[in-house]
Amino acid sequence: MIPEFIVDFFSNFWVSLAGKLLLVALAIPLIGMALGFAEIKLSAKMQARVGPYFAGGRWGWAQLIADGIKFFQKEDIIPIAADRPVFKAAPMLVLVSTVALLVVIPFGPGLIFQDLSVGVFYALAISSLSTIGILMAGWSSGNKYSLIGGLRAAGQLIAYELPLVLAVVGSVIMAGTMSMSGIVEAQIEAGFPYVIFQFVGFGIFIVASLAELTRIPFDMPIAESELVMGYLTEYSGFRFLFFFLAEFANMFTLSAIAVTLFLGGYWLPGIPESLVELAGPFIVLGKVFLLAFVMIWFRWTFPRFREDQLQTLAWKWLIPIALVNIAATAFFKVML
Amino acid sequence: MAIDTDVIRHLSEAQVSVELQTEDMTLNIGPQHPSTHGVLRLVAQIDGERAHDVQPVIGYMHRGYEKLSEVRTYPQITTIVNRIDWVSGYANEIPFIVAAEKLMELEVPPRAQYIRLVLTEMARISSHLIFMASYPLELGAATPLFFALRERERVLDLLESVTGGRFHPNFNRIGGVKPVAGAGSTQKKVGQDLPVDFLPETMDAMDRVSKVCDELEDLVAGNEIILARTRGVGVFPIEVAASYGLSGPNLRASGAAFDLRKIENYLPYDDFEFNVITGTNGDCWDRWHCRLQEIRESAKIIQQAIDGIPSGDLQAKVPKVIKVPAGETYVRAENPKGEMGYYLVSDGKDGPYRLKIRSASFSNLSILPWALEGVLVPDIIAIMGSLDFVLGDVDR
Amino acid sequence: MSSSPSETDAAVENETQAQSHPLQGYAGAVAEAVGGTAGIQFDTIKIKIPNDTWVDAHITARDEFGLVHFSWLSAIDWSNEVEVGDALSDEVEERLELLTTVGDISEGRRVTFSTDLDHATPVIPTLIDVYAGANWHEREAHEMFGIDFLGHPNLAHLYLPDGFLGHPLRKSFPLLTREVKPWPGKVDVEAMPEKATAEEPSTENPEA
Repeated sequence: MIPEFIVDFFSNFWVSLAGKLLLVALAIPLIGMALGFAEIKLSAKMQARVGPYFAGGRWGWAQLIADGIKFFQKEDIIPIAADRPVFKAAPMLVLVSTVALLVVIPFGPGLIFQDLSVGVFYALAISSLSTIGILMAGWSSGNKYSLIGGLRAAGQLIAYELPLVLAVVGSVIMAGTMSMSGIVEAQIEAGFPYVIFQFVGFGIFIVASLAELTRIPFDMPIAESELVMGYLTEYSGFRFLFFFLAEFANMFTLSAIAVTLFLGGYWLPGIPESLVELAGPFIVLGKVFLLAFVMIWFRWTFPRFREDQLQTLAWKWLIPIALVNIAATAFFKVML
Repeated sequence: MAIDTDVIRHLSEAQVSVELQTEDMTLNIGPQHPSTHGVLRLVAQIDGERAHDVQPVIGYMHRGYEKLSEVRTYPQITTIVNRIDWVSGYANEIPFIVAAEKLMELEVPPRAQYIRLVLTEMARISSHLIFMASYPLELGAATPLFFALRERERVLDLLESVTGGRFHPNFNRIGGVKPVAGAGSTQKKVGQDLPVDFLPETMDAMDRVSKVCDELEDLVAGNEIILARTRGVGVFPIEVAASYGLSGPNLRASGAAFDLRKIENYLPYDDFEFNVITGTNGDCWDRWHCRLQEIRESAKIIQQAIDGIPSGDLQAKVPKVIKVPAGETYVRAENPKGEMGYYLVSDGKDGPYRLKIRSASFSNLSILPWALEGVLVPDIIAIMGSLDFVLGDVDR
Repeated sequence: MSSSPSETDAAVENETQAQSHPLQGYAGAVAEAVGGTAGIQFDTIKIKIPNDTWVDAHITARDEFGLVHFSWLSAIDWSNEVEVGDALSDEVEERLELLTTVGDISEGRRVTFSTDLDHATPVIPTLIDVYAGANWHEREAHEMFGIDFLGHPNLAHLYLPDGFLGHPLRKSFPLLTREVKPWPGKVDVEAMPEKATAEEPSTENPEA
């Protein structure tokens, strides 16, 4: 069907690389806008109001596009007391770590940007890069509120890295491989998504990813009513847009990791083989939006934890429970 | 023009020290800040997350009301007085008017008194609903804001329908309330009464207010994170609270059943049944809960008042130029924020010789240096918010 | 205190004689304990105390009578020559009258204590050790009237900017906007335009 030379053309390493880069570059703003739109409309529904109404017919779908354009054409303000190179680099670092995470998410059998054999390890390692970006933002702003926000972020993000990592170990043990597509295939072979047995790990992963995203109930670093905007205070214009997009894209990628490791990835029980290749991406997107909905729901229902309560939760509760989960999983894997 | 960055760095007070010093950081919370309820500035010495030696700096909204009232006549003073606590506008006028009427030994018609009572309780509901909206927002929960403000809009619409103003009604007159222009001709001067729909719609609005209290209780009261943030935080023992002059829900949350509506007789509260809400621990959660219950009690009072409202005049007979005979008196009332009182010194002229305004938030705020000693930064916001003060009330 | 308005008015008529006022007994007891003279005007108990027993009177009130709630502290400037407002009808002795109101939190009784201070240099010990709330009220009285409270740790300005000179609430302090122009309404009124003065304004409601 497809002419020979087109297939050859796209099999060229450099062309396919360019194509993948283009896809990833497009995906981030699109995902950011889609999830952002979900957030504003869902939060409006929960608060008995309508949400964006005028941009784009009566649905407001163009609201975030308009916001994006608005941010881009704003003046680039950098405070006098700020550390300029660090200030400029911080949003880039956060965005880069998010984009790099997209690389290992399987959207279908073989539909993965790069199938690394240590996919899980890579994903967790890259996601901790954003911590440095946030710290840079807080420190370089030259503003006491940003400093407090940055320090809170340091404590919080490092504390919640551990539960995040420990929570996925259970799935890795059950699958026997660290490759992301390998784990999905293991779930297909087993016939059930791992969440059925790894519900503890799943819960811990969701809580820890909320903390990694600094979303309410874990948004002490931003803490809008205390620190104005925490480490984001001095960011305006397109730099703020990068942070904003990065937050939603990160929400997507962390949810996608959860979907892959716990919820069966691109597979639904009972779906025929032939459809999986076509429907895979949509299934992944559907599951990711389900998780994103839960995260949005939490954000608008709960207030925020205080810093010491947050740390208590991580160190005294989540880490021990995750360790017990690993021990139990290993025990059952060996015994059964 | 070259900018002297060193000068600006010094002026902006945002010094990020290069060497590793471990001295405390001086943080200015305010005067522009999302959570300080206006232009309040707290100068806090912060060590990590712990604050100590927090000094409030007030006076950004000082408008000099006590001096202004010496050059105003009594009807003119009611226009400025309802701007003291601008959230509960109507309630500020009442103690002043009652003080003037006391010195004139004037009898206010019962219908006017009932209308004053209904409108005061509506001001109380309005003020407490703003608290219900903004306090969870300061803790991070954004949703109760919309629930509470939705019903508050209804109450404010009703206030506007009868007085003409949402926040600054200026509806009291010496001797009663302003004879209202009802539905219909606005040219007739005398004898018009409340708008036709006002009483039934208020009854209906009170039902909805009680319902939103249930919704807020579901959403906020049992929430574990709210409990963790407010239980045991900002505990004020009764002795300390009374010594600082706390009043209103702040004092009642510490356990004192002290409600000026039952003690002073400035309005006919004795004709109605309502409870005085007290708390047990005197922490932030108790103060929140007291205000929520008080909304319900106010709704009950309004419904009883509307059921039993007498007919009659709206204003007693007063001369055109009001001269209040010489004398001194102190009249205090239960404002939504606490005890609001006016010490009126009159010399027989058409304006007071001296008017001392005792505002509730001023004394409520004075406890902050004591309360914020050694607390974490998030708790500063929680405690400050739970005091429910308004800067106009603090600064006058 | 559950009297209807008419009963209160009847009681009010007797008050200046202070013969049968319900608070008379209580006022007398407090006045005797603190060593002052009581008067009741319009439901307000006012007890006059000499300067030197100011602090002790408050301690007695707090400990013996349970008046633990500190309501407010302020002053009245009794002057014969005033820059703002109307002068007094009768001559008074020029002084600053310092007032405090304290109350109890169980039955709701309240008492106003007053003392006279020298008009030029008003000095009095601080009440900060008796009632913690006196702190800010005394700061306000200091900046508004110039009263010096001995023993107060921090008599810095509360409301006014740091460099402000003068004591605003004294009767000798003018309202500066009044210096520039008189009561605003009088200067802003302009002559009515020609047409409107020719006919009477219509009293018909256009929508009636």
